[in-house]
Amino acid sequence: MKQYTGTHEWVELRDGMAYVGISAHAAEELGEVVYVDLPETGAEVTAGEPCCELESVKAVAEVNSPASGRVGAVNDELADSPEKAGEEGVWIFAVADPVLADGLMSEAEYLATLG
Amino acid sequence: MLDLLGLTSAEELFSDLPKELRRKKFALSEGRSQQETYKALAELASRNATYKSVFRGAGSYVHYIPAAVTSVTSREEFLTSYTPYQPEISQGILQATFEFQTMMCELTGMDVATASHYSGATAAAEACVMCAGKGRKVVTFSNIDPDTLDTLRTYLGARGIALEVLSADNGNAVLKSGTGGSVLYIQSPNYYGIVEDVSLLVSAAKAEGMKVVVGGNPLALALFRSPGECGADVAVGDAQPFGLPVSFGGPYLGYMAAKREFMRKLPGRIVGETKDAEGDRAFVLTLQTREQHIRREKATSNICSNQAHCALTAAVYLSLMGARGLKDLATKCASNAHYLARELTRVGAKLFYEKEFFHEFVTITPGKASALTAALERKGILGGLPLDEHRILWCCTECVGKADMDEVVSIAEEVL
Amino acid sequence: MKTVFEKSVKGRRCFEVSALDVEKYDFEAGALRSSLRLPELSEPEVVAHYTALSKRTFGVDDGFYPLGSCTMKYNPKLHEVIAALPGFRDAHPLARADKMQGSLAVIDTLSAYLAGITGMDAVTLQPCAGAHGEFTALLMVRAYHRARGDEKRVKVLIPDSAHGTNPASAAMAGFEVVTVKSDADGLVDLADLSLKAGEDTAALMLTNPNTLGKFEKHILKIAEIVHEAGALMYYDGANLNAVMGVVRPGDMGFDLVHLNLHKTFSAPHGGGGPGSGPVCCKAELAAFLPDPQVTRTERGFRFGRSDWSAGRVTAFYGNFGVYVKALAYIVTLGGKGLREAAVTAVLNANYLREKISYFYPVGEGRCMHEFVLSMRKLREETGVTAADVAKGLIDRGIHPPTMYFPLIVEDALMFEPTETASKETLDAAADALKEVIELAYTDPDALHSAPHTTPIRRPDEAGAARDPVVKEEL
Repeated sequence: MKQYTGTHEWVELRDGMAYVGISAHAAEELGEVVYVDLPETGAEVTAGEPCCELESVKAVAEVNSPASGRVGAVNDELADSPEKAGEEGVWIFAVADPVLADGLMSEAEYLATLG
Repeated sequence: MLDLLGLTSAEELFSDLPKELRRKKFALSEGRSQQETYKALAELASRNATYKSVFRGAGSYVHYIPAAVTSVTSREEFLTSYTPYQPEISQGILQATFEFQTMMCELTGMDVATASHYSGATAAAEACVMCAGKGRKVVTFSNIDPDTLDTLRTYLGARGIALEVLSADNGNAVLKSGTGGSVLYIQSPNYYGIVEDVSLLVSAAKAEGMKVVVGGNPLALALFRSPGECGADVAVGDAQPFGLPVSFGGPYLGYMAAKREFMRKLPGRIVGETKDAEGDRAFVLTLQTREQHIRREKATSNICSNQAHCALTAAVYLSLMGARGLKDLATKCASNAHYLARELTRVGAKLFYEKEFFHEFVTITPGKASALTAALERKGILGGLPLDEHRILWCCTECVGKADMDEVVSIAEEVL
Repeated sequence: MKTVFEKSVKGRRCFEVSALDVEKYDFEAGALRSSLRLPELSEPEVVAHYTALSKRTFGVDDGFYPLGSCTMKYNPKLHEVIAALPGFRDAHPLARADKMQGSLAVIDTLSAYLAGITGMDAVTLQPCAGAHGEFTALLMVRAYHRARGDEKRVKVLIPDSAHGTNPASAAMAGFEVVTVKSDADGLVDLADLSLKAGEDTAALMLTNPNTLGKFEKHILKIAEIVHEAGALMYYDGANLNAVMGVVRPGDMGFDLVHLNLHKTFSAPHGGGGPGSGPVCCKAELAAFLPDPQVTRTERGFRFGRSDWSAGRVTAFYGNFGVYVKALAYIVTLGGKGLREAAVTAVLNANYLREKISYFYPVGEGRCMHEFVLSMRKLREETGVTAADVAKGLIDRGIHPPTMYFPLIVEDALMFEPTETASKETLDAAADALKEVIELAYTDPDALHSAPHTTPIRRPDEAGAARDPVVKEEL
C-alpha cells in the first residue's frame, strides 16, 4: 500500500525494499518529464532529503527520499523513456534496508492536503 | 496619451519616487545632433594609431575579413533581435547557431558545443569549474594566455576551487605525476605559439584521474589533430580569428565544446533540432533546465546574454572559407611566421624556444626588445609584443606578405 | 530549411587566400588532422543562405517588440558606423596605451558618463553582459568585506521577484542565497528584510523599479536596514530605463550598480549578445574593481592596477565595440535626452497598460516602464494560456512580451514598450491584444494552434530536451 509525503512522493514497501515514485499531482504540475537524473545504486539516502531530479522542458523537480537507507535499485527504463516517470505507479528508485520517514500519509490523507 | 491617463504631465507618473530623491539636482548635459556625435567619436577614433602591418597577436589576431561576412551579419534581423525565446520567429538565428555548434564540434572533435561565451578566457574558466568535481583542484601551466590565467584565478577562487600553476620553463607543458588535481587545463598552441603534445598530456592526466580541458586558437585546428581526437574532455578558446575585427579586445567569441557526457552540465545556451507541430524541422533553445532562469542558484552558470552575433559571424566566415580555405589560411600564417623567424635569426635575434610553433614565436634580443618595437612603430609597423626587455612575442597572419616581413627584418638588422 | 552543410556541394568554393610568397611550411605529419568537414559553397550561395535565415528572424525594425525586462528600443544605425571606424575596429588591444589614446578616451569618457547617470564614483567596463556584471560586483562585495577582516558575510539577500541571474551570480561568486519575500506589488517585505539582514549578510541585490514595474517607494528605508546590518546595497540595472536622468541609484543608497548597455543604452542585442555590463561603485569600493583600470595622468590616459582588485573577469577590456555604441547614444541624447527617454518609456507603459486595463493587470496604481498581466483568469475561463496569447500576438506582427516571469505571478505576461514605440504602435498593439482575447472566448483552438503565419509551427520542445540533437551528423 502506498504512503505519501508532503512533498508529493509516494513510497511502497515490497520485498524489503522501499519503492519510490511521484504522485499524479506532482506529475501534472511538472509536465512532461524529459530527463531523470537517477541516483547511483549504493548511494546513501536520508529521509526528507533530495536524492534525484526530474526535469521537464521548463522546470526541475527534486525528489526527496521518503526513506533513509541506501539505493538498492534504480528504474533503468527511465534513462531511455524519462516521460514514464510521471506515469501512475511507475517507480524511480528503491531504497534497501529502509527506515521510513516520520509523518507519511495515506492516500486519502495526502489527497486531502491538495484541497 | 496624457488625457487617457487623466494626467497633465508625464512627470506625475513618478509620484511613487521619494520626494527627497526627485529633488536631488544633478548635472544633465545637452544632447547633440547625430552629425555632431559622429564628428566627436570619429575624432576619438583618429587618436588611435593605425598600422600598415601588424605582427602582434597574443590573443587578438588581425585577419582579412571577407566583405560578405560583414554584409550578411549586418542585417538588422540578426543585429537587433533578442535571445531567441520565441522559436517560431527566431528560426534564422537558431539555425545559424546550430550550424555554428556543428562547425565547432567538427573543428574540436567533440559531440556538443555551446552557443557562445564572452571570451576564450571565460570559456576556459567556466569549463574548469564544470569539470572540477569533488577533487576541486585545477592544474595548469605558466605558458597559457595571461588574461586566461587571471580569469581562471578569479572564477576558481570565487568557488573555492584550488589552482596550481606549474612552470613550463622550456616552453612546453610537461605534467608531473602526483599533482592531486582533478582538472588539467592546457593551451595549444600555447601563449608562446608552441604546439603542445596534447595526446601525451591527456594520457598523463587521465592516468591521474583528471579531466582535461584544452584551450587554443581554433585556426590551428584547421591543421592539427583536434582536442577530441587527442582524448580531451572539453575544448575551449576564442574564435575571434573567424571573422571578428580586433576591436580593442572585444567583442570576441568564447567557444566551448565537450564530450557527450557533459551535455547536461554545460554552462550557457545550446540550440537543438526538433520538429514542429506539422513534422517540419525546427530549432529551439534546449536543455534549458541547466540555466539560471529555471534553476536559479543551482544553475550550471549565470550566463544569459552571450556573444550570439559573434557566433553567427564565425559561422558565415567558416562557410565562406570552407575547409580548404581555412587550411590554406592556417598554412599561410604558419609559413609566414616560420619565414620571419628564420630571417630574424639571420640578423641577430635568437629563438627563445627551439620548439615547433604555429604562427607565433618568441625571439630574444638581449636588452633590445623595446628599442626594436619602437623602431618598427616609427615606420608604422606594430611589431611583436615585448614580454620584457629581451623577449618579443611575434605573430604573422595572412595579412602580411614577404615585403612586409623583409621590412621588419631590415629594421631589426639596423637595431641589433 | 536545409542547413548550410546540406547545401554543400563537394569541391565548390569561394574564398581564395592570397598566394604564399614565402616557402610553404610543412608540419610533421603525425600532428596533423586527417579530415575537416566545412561547407563547400560559392559566395552567392553562402550569402543567399544567411540572407534567407535573416528573414526567418524577427528584429526590432520588424515590428513592436515589448519584451519585458529586455528594453528592446530602437538601435540607431549611426552607432554601427561609428563602431566600425577603422580607428576603433583595427585597434589592437595590446598596442601601447600611448598609441591608443582614442580607445582609452572612450573608456574614460563613457565611465564618467555612467558614473554621473548612476550617482557613483568609479566604473569598470570589463564585464561582457548583465550577469557578468552581477558576478563582478559580487566579487567586489566579497573583496570589500574581506579587506575589512569581515569573513563571516557569506549570504546575499535576493527578493523572490528577482531575475534568475541574481541568485545564479551569487552562487557563482561563492555566496549562499537567502530569499526575501515580496508583497502583492512585488515590493520588498520590510519586516522579512529586517529579519534576514544580519551580520552574516554581504549584500542585498535589488532591481528598482522591480520586475513588476513598481518603484520600491521604501528604498531609503531598505538601504538603512541593509547598511545598519553592515551589508552593501547592489542595484541590478536591468530596469534603469525607467529612471535614468530622473533619480540615481547612488542617491537611493546603493553602493554598487551594474548596467546593461545592450538594453538601456541602445546597443543592439545581436540575437542574444554581445552585451556589455559595466559595474559602477562608490569611492570606497573603487579599489576592488577588476584590473586594469584606465587612469588619467598628465601625459594622457594609462592603464593602472590595484593591489586590492577583485581580479580580472575576462580577456582585455571587455566588449569594446559595444560600449562605443553606448557612448554614441549618450553623447547624442545628452542628460536631458536620457531623462526624456525615461519619462517617455514610463508614459508609454502606462498608456498601453491603461488601454488594456480591462485585462487582468497585476498590482494597483501606475507602473513604471513595464507592467505585468496575469493570464490565470483567462486560462481558467477559456483554457487559453499565456503562451497561447503570446503566439496569437506573433500572428498579428508583434513580438510577444516576456512569458511566465516574474515567477511570483501566475501565467504572467510582462510588457515593456520602451520610449521608441509610437502612440500608433501602442494603439495597434492594444487592438491586437483585444482581438486575441476575444478569440480566446470564441475560438480557443485557433490560439492553441497559433502561430499560423510563421516559417514553422510550434516546435516540440519536450522532444528536443528528451533526445537532444545539438549538432548535425556530417
